[in-house]
Amino acid sequence: MLKPSFEVLLKSSFRSILKNKGRTILTSLGIIIGVTSVILLVSIGNGLKGYVSEQFESLGTNLIYVTPGKLFNSDGGFNQDADHSSITFDKKDMSLLERKVKDAEYVIPYSSKYVTVKYAKEIKGTSILASTAEFAKARKKYPSAGNGRWYTPEEDDRSAKVVVLGATIAKDLFGDKKALNRQITISGKNLKVIGVMDKVGGAGLGGPDFDSYIFIPLSTGFSIIGNEDIQSIQLSVKDNNKVESTKEAIKSVMLDRYKEDDFSVFDQTELLSSINSILNTLTIALSGIAAISLVVGGIGIMNIMLVTVTERTREIGLRKAIGAYPRAILIQFLIEAVILSSIGGGVGIILGSLGTMAISNFFPAKVTAESILLAFGVSSLVGIIFGVAPARRASKLSPIEALRYE
Amino acid sequence: MTKLSSNNKAKVLLELKEVVKTYTSGGSKFNALDGVCLNLYQGEFVSITGPSGSGKSTLMHIIGLLDVPTSGQIILDGKDVSQLGENQLASTRNKTLGFVFQQFNLLPKTSALENVILPLVYSDIPSWQHRDLAVATLEKVDLSDKLKNTPAQLSGGQQQRVAIARALINNPKIILADEPTGNLDSKSGADVMKLFHRLNREEGRTIVFVTHDMDLAKQANRMIVIKDGRIIGQEKQC
Repeated sequence: MLKPSFEVLLKSSFRSILKNKGRTILTSLGIIIGVTSVILLVSIGNGLKGYVSEQFESLGTNLIYVTPGKLFNSDGGFNQDADHSSITFDKKDMSLLERKVKDAEYVIPYSSKYVTVKYAKEIKGTSILASTAEFAKARKKYPSAGNGRWYTPEEDDRSAKVVVLGATIAKDLFGDKKALNRQITISGKNLKVIGVMDKVGGAGLGGPDFDSYIFIPLSTGFSIIGNEDIQSIQLSVKDNNKVESTKEAIKSVMLDRYKEDDFSVFDQTELLSSINSILNTLTIALSGIAAISLVVGGIGIMNIMLVTVTERTREIGLRKAIGAYPRAILIQFLIEAVILSSIGGGVGIILGSLGTMAISNFFPAKVTAESILLAFGVSSLVGIIFGVAPARRASKLSPIEALRYE
Repeated sequence: MTKLSSNNKAKVLLELKEVVKTYTSGGSKFNALDGVCLNLYQGEFVSITGPSGSGKSTLMHIIGLLDVPTSGQIILDGKDVSQLGENQLASTRNKTLGFVFQQFNLLPKTSALENVILPLVYSDIPSWQHRDLAVATLEKVDLSDKLKNTPAQLSGGQQQRVAIARALINNPKIILADEPTGNLDSKSGADVMKLFHRLNREEGRTIVFVTHDMDLAKQANRMIVIKDGRIIGQEKQC
């Protein structure tokens, strides 16, 4: 018994909204700003997530890390209470893992230290990353042709004074000059540059990015660091399906020597999901703040709808006198509120998408269908919620009072 | 429709029986209508008049089903409508009544055509007929050349004729006019009265209009004078 039909109501609502173009734009502005900022923030959050995943995949997908301390809590988030450096590993762990973990292709130790590097008059602070020659093999990354080579196992065995530079630190120290075969000084030791890595981008785990590292043979590194502690161990697995079983094998080896809370064994998916959960929380929190402006916009709509109802009191009286059901009046004004908020939502989606495109030139940001649907749904909902009160007021007007209204 | 004037043999369209409307203000009660009995016959042209505060507006609202009586019965076209709910009253108003107001009450910035169509929007008449019906009705009030004009582009008299067309479009059984000439100059007012007479004479429309102007009230076939909530000069008919 809905009379008039939805189509007729929609048409007449549109007409009355278009009669007040300036007011419509101003009223929608609150929603426009709200939706634009929600879309932008969600896009940035999604872009960051995508960026992080990409970076992790660039590190290799079949890597297992063994680190001291309890890195994750039981919910999969990062553990807040852990003392990450409570223990260190040693060469015995290495040989045990090499012997007992059958599916491991490489077992790579590493230790790092923040040091000062000197070349001629340049002095820079960066980290050395001491590891075995297999480090490059496991990552399948070598200096490219013309940029030297990685150190050999033999050089590692005899503590050769050689280093391979990350792209950034090489540029910092040498500028545009050739770095190859020059001597740099770290902690009073002269070391020869035998290779320069290409730029890989991305972030390192708990340290500077790989482009800033100075890679050094493990034994040479020990002499610079001043002890033979291995800070973490990385294992690569040949078969991607064996990552879980290998993790279990590693844990049982490590449990023979350490307490369960003293070390962590994890792969990239765990790390990634922890980082994603942080990014998700951040995105939700930021969108929540942006959503406040949606509420403010909704109040703006309610305000203008109350004004509209007052202004059009005689029209409402007339419509009721000539046979409009209270519900027809209610729906008419509700539709007007929803149209106002949907216009705001639509414009906001367009502006948010354009803004995302602009940002994506220098920051990872990506508009998703979900965020568009969400923004549109929320803005319509805002229209309904904040339109109900004015529409109810309109529908409850007595036709006699309304027709008398001056 | 049959052409007839006030005539006791004609069909009773509307019957008010002992209608009382009580308003309460500040704790004291006040009977705006105090036991009104009234029959309206098909094809009648009736005026309701009386001094201000006499209850003529209240009577108008009761006849127009815009208000419900505190007690008493209203029988419209054989049906008791005194206890109908808001939705049924709205639907009854839409089907059987046409309203003309002193202030015209046309939708601003809306064409004459759209204004006339408005009651159809709330009716069962399918929308593909709306335009044709509105054009025909506007022709009846001699405004076929002003279909697209908005109220601001029309004179007062023309606006009131659009309002009359709007009251006619649902083919109502009764047209109710509340001071229809109150906002018009004497020439346009006379034109509007002429139009009412013509509709009554040529189409047999039942017309009830409220006015405080005795001269105007006398133009009707029957004049109902109301004072202190009672119809004077009439024996009780119920």
